[in-house]
Amino acid sequence: MNPDIIDGFAQASQFETILAVAAGCFIGLVVGMIPGLTISTGIIIVLPLTFVLEPEISIALLLGLYVSGMTGGSFSAILLNIPGTPSASATAIDGHPLARNGEAGRALGIAITASFLGGLFSFLCLFFIAPLLAEIALKFQSPDLFSLVFFGLTIICSFAAKSLVKGLLSAVIGLAIVTVGQDPMMGTHRFTFGQVNLISGIHFLTALIGLFAVPQLVDNFADMIKSKSGTNGAANIKSVLPKLADLKLMRLPVSIGAPIGSFLGILPGAGGPIAAFISYDYTKKLSKNPAEFGSGSPQGIAAPESANNAVTGGALIPMMTLGIPGDPVTAILIGALLIHGLAPGPLLFIENGEFAYGLIFSFFWANIFNIVIALIGLRFLVKVLVIPRTLLMPTIAILCVIGSYALRNNFFDVYVMFGFGLLGLAMRWLDMPIVPLLLAMVLGRQLEEHLRVSLIASKNDVTVFFTHPFSLFFLCLAAASVFWSFWAEHKSKQKQEQLEI
Amino acid sequence: MSNMRTRNLIAAIILLLLCAGYAYLTANLPTRAIENTTQPSFFPWVVTVCMAVLSLALLAQGLLPLVSQQAPKAFDVPAKRLIYGLILSVAYFILLPTLGFLAANIPFFAGLMYLYGERRPLLIAAGSILISLVIFYLFREGFQILLPSGILQGVML
Repeated sequence: MNPDIIDGFAQASQFETILAVAAGCFIGLVVGMIPGLTISTGIIIVLPLTFVLEPEISIALLLGLYVSGMTGGSFSAILLNIPGTPSASATAIDGHPLARNGEAGRALGIAITASFLGGLFSFLCLFFIAPLLAEIALKFQSPDLFSLVFFGLTIICSFAAKSLVKGLLSAVIGLAIVTVGQDPMMGTHRFTFGQVNLISGIHFLTALIGLFAVPQLVDNFADMIKSKSGTNGAANIKSVLPKLADLKLMRLPVSIGAPIGSFLGILPGAGGPIAAFISYDYTKKLSKNPAEFGSGSPQGIAAPESANNAVTGGALIPMMTLGIPGDPVTAILIGALLIHGLAPGPLLFIENGEFAYGLIFSFFWANIFNIVIALIGLRFLVKVLVIPRTLLMPTIAILCVIGSYALRNNFFDVYVMFGFGLLGLAMRWLDMPIVPLLLAMVLGRQLEEHLRVSLIASKNDVTVFFTHPFSLFFLCLAAASVFWSFWAEHKSKQKQEQLEI
Repeated sequence: MSNMRTRNLIAAIILLLLCAGYAYLTANLPTRAIENTTQPSFFPWVVTVCMAVLSLALLAQGLLPLVSQQAPKAFDVPAKRLIYGLILSVAYFILLPTLGFLAANIPFFAGLMYLYGERRPLLIAAGSILISLVIFYLFREGFQILLPSGILQGVML
């Protein structure tokens, strides 16, 4: 057996790492269940705390938060009919009616168990597929890597944008921001305006905090005005352990949701909400009782929950092996790894095999602790829903400011964060997606580096991107992705016009 | 003209202006006399072209009535509250380096609580002071992050 696997397991099973996973799971469940707080925001809040921790412990904490955040989202979806995270939207369709029928505990138990099974399946995918993919990715040369990153960008835009033009514009703005600072090839200062703070560029995490947190704080402002109460309410829950009959019912939805979630997780940009709805739809079609769906079907809860948790492991595969984030959370994880001097990609398994497998096993532990903490602590956890948002939102605002400062002990980053917050608000006003900008900021430097290295090596011959088989393959995928987006946008507009007529 | 078309038009004009500024700065980037290599301005030029093309496409979307586009409400918040929030934030960010984290966080926290709808003075005072203190000491003592004390230097433990 590969010694890295054993060392990785030992690393992930150390007391501190396990404790970090458990803490991450606890925070994730809390963050996930609070409507208006996304997993990304939760990670942003926790991130500054990880600066002082060892890399394996930091990542374990963040993985726990990622996995449990997905599960936590279903709690408020079931209890309040308000999905805590976008991925839990499909869970509310059947979860809330079941809770309204006085079976909140049963609904939550099914959601927690299905999440666990979906997560476990995606762990197996991660464990077996990631090293193989990394091995293939080692054969990639600069033109292939450029085309791969380019493909990653196009697919993200096509999934993230209602309008392709705005999605691509968002990505291009991200690429422009990445060019600030030292040129990656020659070290020339670009667009720094003599500012020492800009020489190393704009820190991805500073931008991230502003882009995500500020619009969310404003969103919650709106929610507060609507609800007036300022709290989210809670429910009394009895037993949450699923019965044998429910476990039997879960076989079909989990066997559909887990593979769909894992597969869609691998595709950059697809994410939890899409996986949850597709699984829900397929399960409904294949179920013996499709009429029950929408009125409290246990299968209707298990399908989206297994799918959205399976997405987590799937999204880690391209992140770890190719350095391409599958969703915004994995983009933040890349940022967190970079802070600790670890670059995700095929070399991670070669140069830091122990760490790579440690990450995979931390993901396994995250799924174990997720189900344990959720089942045992559920009755206590739902009390979080009564915390007044008038206290919660200012706390998040302060944590974001301190988080930006703590990155480099610098007020400049705080101002940059605020600037990005305003940019986020402007983009919301324009209905322009934020995710492509964020991912362009993660991938931009790699894109430029691989493009320029390829051109230098080929003496400025652009055909190099079409003569390398892997590169050509990725470019074809990118073209297909853009074409598909145009087609989808065209279809959606046609539908809209027909509706108006 | 529908609401979203107006927004697209405004955004396209701003982006085209930014694109022109970016192109000007790119044109003034230093060049390197190394054979068979790409210049530092190479990638920014690629970005400039992409941004210009896409901004023009957005401009076209704003000008041509291809489809009716109803703009979704960006934020369902009264403009007055948004402006107060902005003023509070700007004041906080300006005063932060001078006042230090604790002294600046307490009024900022209290102001945000008020804007989020809290009207009980005791809760605002207790919440803002207690939570600001806990966060400050958690980061400074617990995570060893040197948060400047500002005007409270020498007063705090």
